[in-house]
Amino acid sequence: MGDPFVYEDVFLKLIDRGLKNGASYVEVRLQTDEGSSITMRNGKVLGFSTFGGGGVGIRALVEGGMGFASTNKMDGDSLDKALASAVSAARSASRLKKRKIGLSDERLARASYEAYQKKRLEDLSFEFLTEEGKRVESEVRDSVKRTKLSVFSISFSTHIQEKLILTSDGAHISSKVPRLYASLNFVLEDGGKTMQRWREYSGSGGAELLEEWKIESEVSEEAKRLETVMLFGVSPPKEKLDVVLGQEIVGLAMHESSGHPMEADRILGREAAQAGESFVKPESFGTKIGSPLVTVIEDPTIPGSSGFYLFDDEGVPAKPRYLYKEGYINEPLLNRETAFMLARKSNGSARAMSYAAEPLVRMSNTYLEPGDKSFEELIEDISFGIYMRSYMEWNIDDIRWNQRYVGLESYIIKNGEIGDPVRNPVMEVTTGEFYGKLFAKDKNLKFFPGTCGKGEPHQGVPVWFGGPNVRLIGIGIKSLGD
Amino acid sequence: MLALEIASQILNSIKRSWSDAAVAVIERERSLVKVWDGEPAVIQRWSTVDSYLRLGIEGRLFIIELATSDPRKIAEEAGRLERIAKKIEPSDLYSPLPSPDVPSMHQSCADRRIAEYLQNPVRLLEEPISEAMSAGGERVSGTLTLEVTNRALATTTGFEGTEDRSSLGLHLRAFKDSSSGHWSFGSSNIDEGALKEVGRKAGEIADLSKKIADFSPGKYDVVLSPMVMGNLANVLAMMSSALASMIGYSFLAKYKPGDEVASEAFSFYDRPRDPSLPGSASFDDEGVETWDKAVIERGKLITLLHNTATASKFGSKSTGNAGWMMPRAWNLEISQGDLKEEELAEELKNGIMVMNNWYTRLQNYVEGQFSTVSRDAALLVRNGEIIGNVGRVRVASSFPRLLSSIEQMTRERNNVWWWEVEIPTRAPFSLIRGVEITRPEV
Repeated sequence: MGDPFVYEDVFLKLIDRGLKNGASYVEVRLQTDEGSSITMRNGKVLGFSTFGGGGVGIRALVEGGMGFASTNKMDGDSLDKALASAVSAARSASRLKKRKIGLSDERLARASYEAYQKKRLEDLSFEFLTEEGKRVESEVRDSVKRTKLSVFSISFSTHIQEKLILTSDGAHISSKVPRLYASLNFVLEDGGKTMQRWREYSGSGGAELLEEWKIESEVSEEAKRLETVMLFGVSPPKEKLDVVLGQEIVGLAMHESSGHPMEADRILGREAAQAGESFVKPESFGTKIGSPLVTVIEDPTIPGSSGFYLFDDEGVPAKPRYLYKEGYINEPLLNRETAFMLARKSNGSARAMSYAAEPLVRMSNTYLEPGDKSFEELIEDISFGIYMRSYMEWNIDDIRWNQRYVGLESYIIKNGEIGDPVRNPVMEVTTGEFYGKLFAKDKNLKFFPGTCGKGEPHQGVPVWFGGPNVRLIGIGIKSLGD
Repeated sequence: MLALEIASQILNSIKRSWSDAAVAVIERERSLVKVWDGEPAVIQRWSTVDSYLRLGIEGRLFIIELATSDPRKIAEEAGRLERIAKKIEPSDLYSPLPSPDVPSMHQSCADRRIAEYLQNPVRLLEEPISEAMSAGGERVSGTLTLEVTNRALATTTGFEGTEDRSSLGLHLRAFKDSSSGHWSFGSSNIDEGALKEVGRKAGEIADLSKKIADFSPGKYDVVLSPMVMGNLANVLAMMSSALASMIGYSFLAKYKPGDEVASEAFSFYDRPRDPSLPGSASFDDEGVETWDKAVIERGKLITLLHNTATASKFGSKSTGNAGWMMPRAWNLEISQGDLKEEELAEELKNGIMVMNNWYTRLQNYVEGQFSTVSRDAALLVRNGEIIGNVGRVRVASSFPRLLSSIEQMTRERNNVWWWEVEIPTRAPFSLIRGVEITRPEV
């Protein structure tokens, strides 16, 4: 990031000048994003890449209008121009606004923090990652005995994000969050049939994450199971039955149908033309969404998580938020603007993915609170059902009500035991049905990484989502192509 | 300093250490107005310069992206990679940069009016929003984006090119009670008539969809709007990239040029040379002159999109679509037909008109199995009449099946460019027979 102390003085002067020029609020964020990646296919390197640099994003509030300006030209003139641009944009917006923007009053932080790396990402060499990619590919290839592994691609990326945030009302946050990321894609082929699996690994921390993930053994085992599903999978039963969803699907559902609809900017309509609105309305808080087992938590403070942060990009301390609690719609994700509109306090949900991006209400790590059963107990009294362990295809509508997941690794449950594999079962449910029919959950909480998209220009932020295995009762299942 | 001067300066500072190198520099000035219920939620402005390097040495391939144009910082990063280059493995996707057929290109297609509006873009929104309200909208949200860029490329093979471009993108979503309509337009220049049309169409669709119609999931004949066709065309463009075939992300990997992959009614073009579309470019990232080309013509696969390296793998030639790693399309165009928009319902007779979509996700890229969710109107048509809106439904199909079932298109096409259509796409309404339409059955 260069020397933040050099910039700090410059930024404080910018903030002063912004206030003198009529702004009631000025926020300056210096942000750098640096990292590297390697991409491999079938055990061979395709290429190496690095990215880096950064710049400044400035927000100004003038008479209820918001302006944002950004530059990566770090000389004094360019920074002055960016400030002037943010202030004039805000003034221009203000002239057209009947509903003036305000910011909630908050206890803002002055703090500095860094996510811990046991082994520095900066020391992770391309040579090591090349060997790692080969090792994973080789183990997966060896594990596939009955089908052909026609494609195996893998990439590893490092990302070190540093921010210095100063606001005119006293926030002063300096942070450094390193992240490691791996993604892979493979295709199994046999007699004209194919099966494809894409998955990813991510967390905040250092190179030690690679050892913790144990990618080669996890993916090899999965490839073997997928071979069986591909070769021997039967068509799914087309009837209403109990469905056990694996942690991966549960996690995604929490992100899509709990996290997104509980973003306050969606609820209020700011994202109407982009990511859409929400089935949740300002008057929905306190109303029922599902069974008493439905408690969904959003927590940026989980150490090692992809969505990790301790203070948001407006300087508000981060904390766990209970989106749905014991079956009721409870607490939305709020930044200072939406908190002001809803007469609440911000709960520290503002995130920006690059210096050139405005902070928006974003998720971090979203999960369903686990229960106390074992997996065996979860399925023991299901006489006939289906277990969907993983997925590929999924989507959800723009108010987050109509959702679909297509199982990849799936099985029949018969008399309380996992039975024959099933190919491509389709579960298409409403959010109300999903949470209303959530009958049981086990104690095995697991998180999965993702990149959450929102905003315009588009901002992808790293998140985790997770949950235990759950049992939904009386769910209609279809086959792909029905 | 002009982008080309910066690119040349960077190239000169690093070229001795690499067997071949390309340096691209892009200067951008951009403004964006995000509209929320008819008012600006925020006005954003950017002034940036970014540098991109593609470095080759003895078969090793490195790509650098830096949010700076500081030659010292860039040389530092290139030097760091040079020191480790020989320790690492050669790339399976390395091919030397091509010698340019045209060593120097300097194009200026920027609309000066876009540059003038950068400082006060809201003036361009007044009429489109007013049109949306007059046509039936009760509230309007959306985004207007204006951009001028100066893109430069210098390579060790002797290419130097620069071009000034401008772009404008507007999309508006009009709401009437719980119904909505969404429309978009992308262009290289300001066209006030087309901007008003965005508002009018959004308002009209919102108004048209206010009546609710009964619906049961099943197979339907459908009309997909230019917004939906634009979204599917973007996925098809990704799968048309030769690298996508190599890494398991394309159903086209199963086919070779000349094979039938769609119905005869469907042709699909990459149009870098259409100056009216915002993605136009006269040279690619390897300094190869671009040209318009069919990817699919009258249902037959003509070519995948290549850079020099993928072309070498496929025993082909670059199609002027580099992307240093991933070949990419510039602007997309779908062929036109003979229908008029007002004839669509009658021609469809019984079926569903899907006016917008999002979340196109695939179960299997190699097979092309996907589903996508409608947003805004999905209009039920019976006996040639629009009965009402069936709400949010899902189109579930596969690319081979859907493309083979395209029967007719409208003559008129729209230049679509918005959140779900990142590559500007000129697309018609398309009539497709026998498509699975689903939604939850509660």
